[in-house]
Amino acid sequence: MDRTMDGQEGREREKRRNAAYRWIAAGLGAVMILSFFLPYITFVFRGLTYTVSGIQLAFVKGFWVVGPQQSGLVTIPLAVRASIVLGLLCAVGGFVLILLKKPVTAGLLFLLSGISPLLVMAASGAIQTAVTSLNVSQIELQFLWPFFCTLLGGLISSVLALRTQGTERLAESVFQVFACVSIGSVILLTVYIISAGLPAILQIGLTQFLLGESWRPASDIFGILPMILSSIVGTIGAIVLGVPVGILTAVFLSETASPRLAMLVRPAVELLAGIPSVIYGFFGMLVVVPVIRNMFPEHTIGDSLLAVILILAIMILPTIVSVTETSLRAVPAAYREASLALGATQTETIFKVTLPAAKSGILAGVILGVGRAIGETMAVIMVAGNVANMPTLLGTVRLLTTGIAMEMSYASGLHREALFAIGLVLFVFIMIVNLLFNYISKKGVQIHAE
Amino acid sequence: MPNKSGVLEQNAPNANFVMEGKSLYNRRAKPVDVVLKLLINGAAFLCVVVLVGILGYILVNGLGYVSWKFLSTPYSETKANLKGILPMIINTMYIVVITLLIAAPIGICSAIYLTQYAKQGRLVKAIRFTTEILSGIPSILFGLFGYTVFCILFRLQISILAGCLTMTLCILPTIVRTTEESLISVPSSYKEGAFALGAGKLRVILGIVLPCAMPGVLTAIILAMGRIVGESAALLFTSGLAYQMPKGFFQQIFSSGRTLTLHLYQTAREATTPDAMNIAFATASVLLILVFLLNRLAGALSRSLQKGTE
Repeated sequence: MDRTMDGQEGREREKRRNAAYRWIAAGLGAVMILSFFLPYITFVFRGLTYTVSGIQLAFVKGFWVVGPQQSGLVTIPLAVRASIVLGLLCAVGGFVLILLKKPVTAGLLFLLSGISPLLVMAASGAIQTAVTSLNVSQIELQFLWPFFCTLLGGLISSVLALRTQGTERLAESVFQVFACVSIGSVILLTVYIISAGLPAILQIGLTQFLLGESWRPASDIFGILPMILSSIVGTIGAIVLGVPVGILTAVFLSETASPRLAMLVRPAVELLAGIPSVIYGFFGMLVVVPVIRNMFPEHTIGDSLLAVILILAIMILPTIVSVTETSLRAVPAAYREASLALGATQTETIFKVTLPAAKSGILAGVILGVGRAIGETMAVIMVAGNVANMPTLLGTVRLLTTGIAMEMSYASGLHREALFAIGLVLFVFIMIVNLLFNYISKKGVQIHAE
Repeated sequence: MPNKSGVLEQNAPNANFVMEGKSLYNRRAKPVDVVLKLLINGAAFLCVVVLVGILGYILVNGLGYVSWKFLSTPYSETKANLKGILPMIINTMYIVVITLLIAAPIGICSAIYLTQYAKQGRLVKAIRFTTEILSGIPSILFGLFGYTVFCILFRLQISILAGCLTMTLCILPTIVRTTEESLISVPSSYKEGAFALGAGKLRVILGIVLPCAMPGVLTAIILAMGRIVGESAALLFTSGLAYQMPKGFFQQIFSSGRTLTLHLYQTAREATTPDAMNIAFATASVLLILVFLLNRLAGALSRSLQKGTE
C-alpha cells in the first residue's frame, strides 16, 4: 500500500483500470444481447433438426409435431419465453446502465440475464414431456454456444461491473449472493412441492384425499387418512416414550453427573445422533420386530406401530437431550443457588426450579423431536409393515413418509401425482412444526434476555 | 414436568415432619428424592445401553465378514463370488466429495456474510429463517424435490450428480450454522488489531478471521460428511440403486449409483438367505465404523477450537 507515496498516480491508475473494466463489461453486455439473436437451441426429433434462436424461442408459438398415433402442437412453455424476454431486457438494461456509469444496478441486471439460460434449461423439460405425451419417442435438445455465451458473459460482466466499485464491494456482493442461496432454495422447494402435489389433490378432491380410508392405486382410490393417523399416532407415541428419557438424561448431563460420567454419556448421545437411520431400521427389523412377534405371537407379525414407536423414540432421544441440556445450562446459576439456600434438596431444585425455568427451551426440543419423528423414513419403512391400515398398536401401518418411499419407484400417472400430494401434506405438517418451533424458540430467547 | 412436581407436592407434609426434628442434611434421604435420582441415572444408563446394544449387535454379527476382499470386490446380485461393496464405497466417496465441493463454498460464504457483513435487517432475518426451515425439512421431501427438479426438469436423470445437488440442500444448514459459530468465536480484538494496521475488510476476513476459525470450519465439513454418509431417503430417488463399477470419472457422475446406506437397505430388505444377511451386517459394520470415526474427528476438532480461543 504505497498510497501515501504517490497517491495521485495510484488514483489515476485505478481510474484507468475501472474504465477498462467498464468497457469490457459493456462489450460483454453487447455480445450477450447479440447472442439472443444467434442460433440458441437445437431440437432433433424424428430425423428432423430445428435450430432456433433465442428471440425466435420467445415469439414462436410452438412446433407442430406429427407422431405415430397422434399429432399436435407442442407449445413452448411460458416460463421459457418469459425467461428469454427477461434475459434480453436485463442484458439491454445492464448495457445501458453501465454506459451511464451505474455499475451496481448494471451488475445485478447482468447477473439476472446470465441466469436466464439456466431458467430456460429448467423449463425446457416441459417440452420433453409434452412431446413424449404425443408418443414421439424422444426429443433431443442441444444448447449451442450462444447459450453458454449468455451464461458466462452475464457472470463475468456482473463481476467486472461490481469490481469498478472496488474489491471490498465486490466481495460483499459475492458473499451476499451465496447467502441468498438458502432463501432461493426454500422458495424453489415450496413452489415445486406445492405445484407437484396440488394437481392430484384437486383431481381426487381434498376431502376424499385427506379423509378417504382406503389406498388402492390400482383402482384409482387414493385416501390417506390411515397414513396421516399412523404418522400422528407414531409421533405421539415416540414423544411419550422418548421425551421423559431425554429430559432425564439431559438433567443427568447438566445437573447431577460427575464430570467423568458425563464424559461417558455425552459422546454416547452424540453417537446416537450420528447413527444412520438405515441402521436403526436394520436393528429394528432384526431385533425389535422379532421381540414383539414373540411377545404377542397370536396378535401380530412383528412389523407394527409399536415397533415404529420404539425405533422413533430412540431416534429422537439425541435431539431432545441436546436441546434440553443447552436450555438447562442457560438457566442462571443464581436460581439454583437460591433454591439450595432455601433448603431445597438437589432433586427438588431440579424439578421445581431448574426445569420450569428451562421449559420453553425444552418445549422447543420436543417440537424439534416431533419434526424428526414425522419426517423419518428409512428406519420406519423397515419395521412398519407398510400396509395402509388404520393405526392399531400391534397392526402393520404405513406412514406418510413410507407411503411415498414405497411406491415412488414404479408409480406413474395419477398414482405418482398422488404420491407428490402426500409429499405436500407432509410438507404442510413440517411447516407447521417448523413455525411453531421458530415461535417458541424466539420466545425462549426473549425470556432469557429479560 | 407437572406429574413429577405433583408427586413432590403430595409428599410435602412428610417433608415438614422431617424438618421438625432433624438436621437439613438428613432431609436429603427422602424416598421421592431417591426414586427421582434413580430415574435420572436410569435414563442416562438407558441411553448408553441402547447405544451399546445397537453397536454391539451389529458389530458382533458383522465384523467377522468385513475383510479386504469384501471391501475391494464389485457387487453382483447373481454371481456368488462377487459380493463386495467396492462400487458402493466409490459412489459414497463421489457423493461426499462433489456435494462438499458445491456446498462448502456456499455455506462458508453465507456464514461469512451473516457474521461479518450483514446488518440486522430483513435480508438477514430471511436468510436465518430459511436456513432454519431447510434444517427442519425431512430428507424424503428433499428426495422428492430433487427428483422433480434435478432429475426431471434439469434432465440429469437419476444420477450421482442429481443426488449431490439434493444433498447440498440437506447439508447447507449444518455447514452455515457450525461455521457461523466458529466465526463468531474469533475474538474481536484480532480483527481490531488487523484493522488498526490498515488492512481492508476482505483482507481481515481471509487473512485473520477465517484461519482462526479453521478448526470450526473443518468441524462443519466433517459433520456434513457424516450426514452425507448416513443419508438414504434423499438419495433413494435421486442417485438411485445401480451398483455397477464406474466406467469413467465423468460417466459415473452422470449415471446412477447406490451408496453404502442404500446398499444396506436394499440387501436387508431382499435378504432371504443367511449369506445375504451377512452382507447386510458387514455393510452396516462398515457404515458404523465410518460414522464413528467421523464423529470422533469432529469432536477432537471442536475441542481444539475451544482450546485455541480460550
